[in-house]
Amino acid sequence: MRKLAAIVKRELIAYFSSPLAYVVLTAFLFVNGFVFWLIVAYLNDPRTRAMAPLRLLFGGTMYFWLLLLFVVPVITMRLLAEERRSGTLELLLTAPVTEGQVVLGKFLAAWVFYLFLWLPTLVYVGVLASYASIDWGPVAAGYLGIALLGLLFASVGVFTSALAKNQIVAAIFAFAALVVVFSVGLVENLVTNPALKNALAYMNLWDHMDDFAKGLVDTRRLVYPLSLTGLFLFLSVKALEAVKGR
Amino acid sequence: MIEVQGLTKRYFDREVVRSVSFFVPEGEVLGFLGPNGAGKTTTMRMICAFLPPTAGTVKVAGLDLAQDPLGVRSRIGYLPEHVALYPEMRVEEFLRFRAAIEGVPAKEVPERLAYVVERCMLGDVQRQVIGTLSKGYRQRVGLAAALIHRPPVLILDEPTVGLDPRQIVKIRELIVELGRDHTVILSTHILPEVEQVCQRVLIIDDGRIVADGTPDALRTGFSGLAAVTVELEGADGAAASEILGRIAGVEKVDVLPDGRLQLAVRDGKAVRREVFRAAVERGWEVLELSQSVPSLEDVFLRLTTREEAVAETTAEVSHA
Ligand SMILES: Nc1ncnc2c1ncn2[C@@H]1O[C@H](COP(=O)(O)OP(=O)(O)OP(=O)(O)O)[C@@H](O)[C@H]1O
Ligand SMILES: [Mg+2]
Repeated sequence: MRKLAAIVKRELIAYFSSPLAYVVLTAFLFVNGFVFWLIVAYLNDPRTRAMAPLRLLFGGTMYFWLLLLFVVPVITMRLLAEERRSGTLELLLTAPVTEGQVVLGKFLAAWVFYLFLWLPTLVYVGVLASYASIDWGPVAAGYLGIALLGLLFASVGVFTSALAKNQIVAAIFAFAALVVVFSVGLVENLVTNPALKNALAYMNLWDHMDDFAKGLVDTRRLVYPLSLTGLFLFLSVKALEAVKGR
Repeated sequence: MIEVQGLTKRYFDREVVRSVSFFVPEGEVLGFLGPNGAGKTTTMRMICAFLPPTAGTVKVAGLDLAQDPLGVRSRIGYLPEHVALYPEMRVEEFLRFRAAIEGVPAKEVPERLAYVVERCMLGDVQRQVIGTLSKGYRQRVGLAAALIHRPPVLILDEPTVGLDPRQIVKIRELIVELGRDHTVILSTHILPEVEQVCQRVLIIDDGRIVADGTPDALRTGFSGLAAVTVELEGADGAAASEILGRIAGVEKVDVLPDGRLQLAVRDGKAVRREVFRAAVERGWEVLELSQSVPSLEDVFLRLTTREEAVAETTAEVSHA
């Protein structure tokens, strides 16, 4: 446990001492600020009053997804690829820690940093709350959805970072893999076969997020991202074991 | 302390370490000597539980590598060939991180930190960011990290490579000191380093051990003989060579063109004593009595080139 905590802490030090972290943070603030502006515009339009405004912030716009698809690979690309490229992995894996602890520590650090990026959006929620009445259930559920998506996306990023020795390659792979993970469920809208449609609906992340934003927390919506996260972390450990000496 | 049996590493169809076996008793400083690509780093990485061996067993401090890799890792302090550290961390921060992942109990950390900082002379850079350190300091931070958890075994892969001569001397002195309470394996290309630091040497070539012994034994043991040069006044060359030739341990006597005698001897010390006594008995005056031993360099070159020649002949035979 102490070893895991040490790995997470080191990784967070690395995040906050790299300029990339601040670039990502700026981009994040910028895009979410834009979405917030859309929400305010929406609220000022009498025809759309019926819609819960925060659904826009929580996955209701394409910007949300674009942001995640771009930002998470940038957060995770360095994690294992850089350890291998620079050779620090050798020192790390000759200490009495397992590959599993290394993968988990890096993954958790990436997730914590991801959550940190979302922190400023609480301000928007606060601003909205002061002007309109806000239903806090969906807000909490929305953040839960964001946290879950973070787990899933970060695990994919960790996996590609274990495979590639080059950070940029890791980021591109992660982006490609995430596009697949994200789009697979959207195919739901294109098929007619009921069984297939059902299966794809299960994987539809857009609807996942929308449910959370509406305040619906269904166990199936928890199981899918969590089990995929587990799978990708497992694959990351196997990948790390296979490539560490190369 | 370290027991290696039949250790083998294969990459694809190429064996880079071939059935290496050796034993290092507690407290010994063992040198790995070998040309580039001999398999020194690969062997060390396997002992440190970084690379899985293709075959063979390793025991460190009684623990089996295959059964308890983490136990083995916790008993070894490892300094890799390319000391790669996290450039964004401060020295002290990094050493604390190492202490935590090495499992040093939290309340012992300050004491261990103070010890390694003092030992590796890091006092003035403790708060500096690692990325801004010079190569010599980075090497010392690596060594400090290897020492932080009080490991009984130290494995150092080319610890002095890339350092200036003064740093080299300092690091060597440090290794000699550490050798008093650690079992050490170090690899190097630098032959004088082996002579100064190591009690025993393994010469590795092409993945195999080609020689094993103390630096002295390797030097004399390989060629078998040391050379003693004698210059006598008042002696007749032929008579002198006849008399000295009868001394036990003298294999051969040559009269050099300038009249000096050169003896090929087994045990240089005893022979020189006898030569001196014989000269005194006969009233000859000894102007020179010196011994030269083939350098480890000669042995190294001979061993490793001979191996290559053998490999070539076997390759030709298998082609035919
Ligand atoms: N991941 C790998 N894949 C394939 N071959 C490898 C790999 N790592 C090392 N080798 C080969 O194994 C051989 C032994 O390498 P090793 O690094 O152990 O040599 P060394 O004795 O440490 O050499 P040096 O003195 O140059 O450090 C080399 O021929 C090297 O090319
Ligand atoms: Mg090497």
